Amino acid sequence: MTNLLSVKLLRDLRASWSRFLMMAIAIAVSLTAFGGVLFAWAASGRETRGAYASTEPASATILLDQSVDSERMATIAAEVSRRPGVIEATGRTQFTGEVEVNGQPREIPLQVFVARPSDPMRMAKFFMEKRSWPPSAGELFIGRDSLPLLGVTIGDTLTVETPSGEVVELRVADTVYDPSLSPSPQEQTGRAYLSSAVLDASEEPAAWDQLKIQVAGPDRAAPSRDRDAIVVVASDVGEWLERVHGLAIREIQVPTPYAHPHQWQADALLGSLLAGGAAALLLSTMLVANMLNNLFTQQIPQIGIMKAIGARSARIGRLYLVMTLLVAVGATLLALGPAILLGRVAVGNFLGFLGIEPTSLAPPSWTYLVVVAVGLGLPPLMALIPLVKAGRTTVRAAIDHHGLGSKPSAAAGLLARLSRTRRLDRGLLMALRNTIRRPSRFLLSVGLLATAGSVFVAGMSLSTGVEAITEEQKQQRNWDVDVQLARPAAAPIATVLEAVPNVSRVEGFNVAETGVAGPGEIPVTRTYPDQGHGRISVTAIPVDTTTFTPPKLLEGRWLNAGETGAVVLNQITRKNTVPDIHAGDTVQLILGGATTTWHVVGLAEEREGGGGGVYTTAEGFADATGQPQRVNQLRITTTGHDEQTRQAVAEAIEENLTEAGIEVRSAASISRSEAISAGHLGPVILILLGIALPLGVVGAIGLASTMAANILDRTREFGVMHAIGARPKAVRRIVVAEGVFLAITSCLVAVIPALTLTAVLGAGLGNLFFSAPLPFRVSLISVAIWLALVILGAVLATDAAATRASRLTVREALAYL
Amino acid sequence: MENAIQVSDVVKAYRSSAGEFIALDHLSLGIAPGEFVAVVGRSGSGKTTLLNLLAGIDRSTSGTVRVAAADLGSLSESGLAAWRGRNVGLVFQFFQLLPTLTVIENVMLPMDFAKKIPVGDRRDRAQDLLERVGVGDQADKIPATLSGGQQQRAAIARALANDPPILLADEPTGNLDSTTAAAVLELFADLNGDGQTIVVVTHERDIRSIVGREVTLVDGRIVTDESASVGVAE
Ligand SMILES: Nc1ncnc2c1ncn2[C@@H]1O[C@H](COP(=O)(O)OP(=O)(O)O)[C@@H](O)[C@H]1O
Ligand SMILES: [Mg+2]
Repeated sequence: MTNLLSVKLLRDLRASWSRFLMMAIAIAVSLTAFGGVLFAWAASGRETRGAYASTEPASATILLDQSVDSERMATIAAEVSRRPGVIEATGRTQFTGEVEVNGQPREIPLQVFVARPSDPMRMAKFFMEKRSWPPSAGELFIGRDSLPLLGVTIGDTLTVETPSGEVVELRVADTVYDPSLSPSPQEQTGRAYLSSAVLDASEEPAAWDQLKIQVAGPDRAAPSRDRDAIVVVASDVGEWLERVHGLAIREIQVPTPYAHPHQWQADALLGSLLAGGAAALLLSTMLVANMLNNLFTQQIPQIGIMKAIGARSARIGRLYLVMTLLVAVGATLLALGPAILLGRVAVGNFLGFLGIEPTSLAPPSWTYLVVVAVGLGLPPLMALIPLVKAGRTTVRAAIDHHGLGSKPSAAAGLLARLSRTRRLDRGLLMALRNTIRRPSRFLLSVGLLATAGSVFVAGMSLSTGVEAITEEQKQQRNWDVDVQLARPAAAPIATVLEAVPNVSRVEGFNVAETGVAGPGEIPVTRTYPDQGHGRISVTAIPVDTTTFTPPKLLEGRWLNAGETGAVVLNQITRKNTVPDIHAGDTVQLILGGATTTWHVVGLAEEREGGGGGVYTTAEGFADATGQPQRVNQLRITTTGHDEQTRQAVAEAIEENLTEAGIEVRSAASISRSEAISAGHLGPVILILLGIALPLGVVGAIGLASTMAANILDRTREFGVMHAIGARPKAVRRIVVAEGVFLAITSCLVAVIPALTLTAVLGAGLGNLFFSAPLPFRVSLISVAIWLALVILGAVLATDAAATRASRLTVREALAYL
Repeated sequence: MENAIQVSDVVKAYRSSAGEFIALDHLSLGIAPGEFVAVVGRSGSGKTTLLNLLAGIDRSTSGTVRVAAADLGSLSESGLAAWRGRNVGLVFQFFQLLPTLTVIENVMLPMDFAKKIPVGDRRDRAQDLLERVGVGDQADKIPATLSGGQQQRAAIARALANDPPILLADEPTGNLDSTTAAAVLELFADLNGDGQTIVVVTHERDIRSIVGREVTLVDGRIVTDESASVGVAE
């Protein structure tokens, strides 16, 4: 580029600096969102994978239906570790129970992981802060994030109930960092790590029901990353255990290898955010390409004269390419800092959400390259057509652009029209016509605003949909007190309890852990070591229940009253265990060490956090297990529904049962369960609002630039209007009306995309987070908010242009061009 | 000696939705170096079309256009741009100075494009040209602050920047008041006096007293071609 062209370039930039700034901001805002999310995703992915892998998670956990003693488990583990494809095997167990801290009971349950004192800790590891495995006699270790949840400090005494029902007091000796588990606060469960020596010292020695194995990968040394291969080896081990050792296998748990239990959630969240950021980026560069095109068009006479004095197309093209690149460089520089900051904050939050302690928050270097490449590359790419067009402008076209054109006739027509005008409303009509005079420009700004609006409304609607789930769950929880018994008790106990004061109704359920498999198979699940998500239990439902709402059916029918041999599975259990089963097929449930055969009469749709996934009648359960009807869960309806009555009843019931010799695991008002389910949902809504925000900014800039360009196009026209006596106020009104008209059009255009987006995202995110589509809800409040925002935005965005138009003097306007 | 301009049997047809329109109809014209030719005629007679062909801004439908020893029909777009920068100076009715460059920078710009004048000489030469057209004192101003006549003079200085053998002007006085217009035409006459070949399209009635030759167009054809002093008739 020649010196003088650089001078011209710099002066042009200075002359229209506000426009260039807008362009840079439009790209910078969306690049910040895109870059920040990319940084966060890459860094959090690396940290999560690293932290999870550092625990050497077991390839598979084989869950025995009946526990075995230490000696037997040691033999089995030693034998299994010599099986083909197995690197190592070790026995573990775990239990969950109520806990007291320094003698004070806690509402939060404690999940206790038990290992031998001699466990080599080569797989399913966890990291002690100061001490090493095992804890000394009379001590246990506690998960670090359980401390605040349980209100515990090092040195406190925990009272823990062992599986045999014995109560032991243990001193908290150290904290444990275990990145293989989802965080305690999220699961509302404390975590503790116990040596089996503690149990062996009590009346009943430790019993083992988990065989953890590490399956070899192709190179024979490192653990396999292929889930199918792991399933094959683990199933082989399971069959061998059944055949040779006569053990019943309840389930083989094979989580996705090397994937943190919540990795997919992070991927889904950040993936959708990234897609949104990319969409915003694309739209903003389209906007900038359009703004540049307007600028180039305005410069056509200048291009013509440069050509007339000997400039070649390539040189002109280069001039405007540099202009575009400067915008891109400016935008990238503007975006980089905030993007890095955003990325760090997001990584921090995300890793907190996943319970991972980062070794570094820095994103990998390739992500910087991607962001810089996208920031510098995308604008020139999107502006390529206008760039080439500008370069190719012929002198001829430039002269024509200058001298001719339809402007005089349009102005004359306007004059004729205005001269007949008595009322100013005519001006509004003109505004409508003017807005669509440049269809591509009109469509671009309408498109930008409509996109932002659709995402905003969809986001808010999804959050309404999520609320609807909570609402629905709340409505279904139409009883007042939940009671869990330590062991199943005879069913008539429920009726007996109705005599307790303030109790109006008691229903007894039997919920039993189970494994589900096709005929002749061992159940294989994706359950993680915390036994949380994906745990399967069968619920035996009493006749004439009023507290159980049958879920929506996808296939087949619901259970008939008193029916035996029939089960209904929900879609989550079906997917995790027997994906090919349909209504009418047969499945096996492992119940109390026995394999029972059932007829699947229906498939139901439930959301994550619903029941245990398998339903049968109380009669059916009793029939299958060959025992009288028993219950281990009571749902109690009280006469009053206030918290005081509920708590009083909970206490009374617990007392009553204990007196009757029935051990109660917990008895609590249902309100705590309500609190738990509300906690999981925030991030989903944040995603969409996070995408809508940059889109909204880009849309506003689009609107402002469209209006500015429209005004510039019609400078002469406004001059004429002033010449024939239009007052500044009237001109201003026309311009503002144009902006508002455009904004309202964008809202109308957004209706169908918003509804579609709500439905599509509701299905996608619902399936991801709740295993079923979200209920379809449209947030009318968000529609009102967006309408107000967009109209206000239109007035503000148009203001500068309107002021300019209304202040144009006749002389200036007619001298223009 | 070869003619500076040789137009042979040129037809220019414009295609539009209304059909084909013949703007130049088998027109031939030769102009020797050093001539000062005025092209006159009614509005719509094809004057601008002819000038555009000479400047390589537009291409003929048939026939050949040779200007400054180049056959314009055989040059590519970018070849034309380079050729134009070195061989013709163009002056338009609207002054067309780049608004963000100063007057002297406007004059230097074609030198940058053509790279004919050594870099070190460009500013001095531009200043000389501005002095010559009588706006030397306006060199460092922004075009918008100059009067119409001053801007047109600056545009003429720019047209002369690369010392082109031929100067083409399309109604250079069309936008000026009569006194200023007369002064600009005087400037052309002076330049011609120094040996510059000039073709000017004009409506000025007094043109005949200044130019050496007047070509009159009617409907894309030359109807009269009168020489005052040096006759190079067809
Ligand atoms: N791009 C074009 N398309 C169609 N017709 C054109 C075009 N340019 C000029 N004309 C027509 O060609 C004729 C000659 O135009 P022009 O050379 O500009 O005339 P003059 O300069 O003598 O006024 C006119 O009738 C004009 O309408
Ligand atoms: Mg003309």
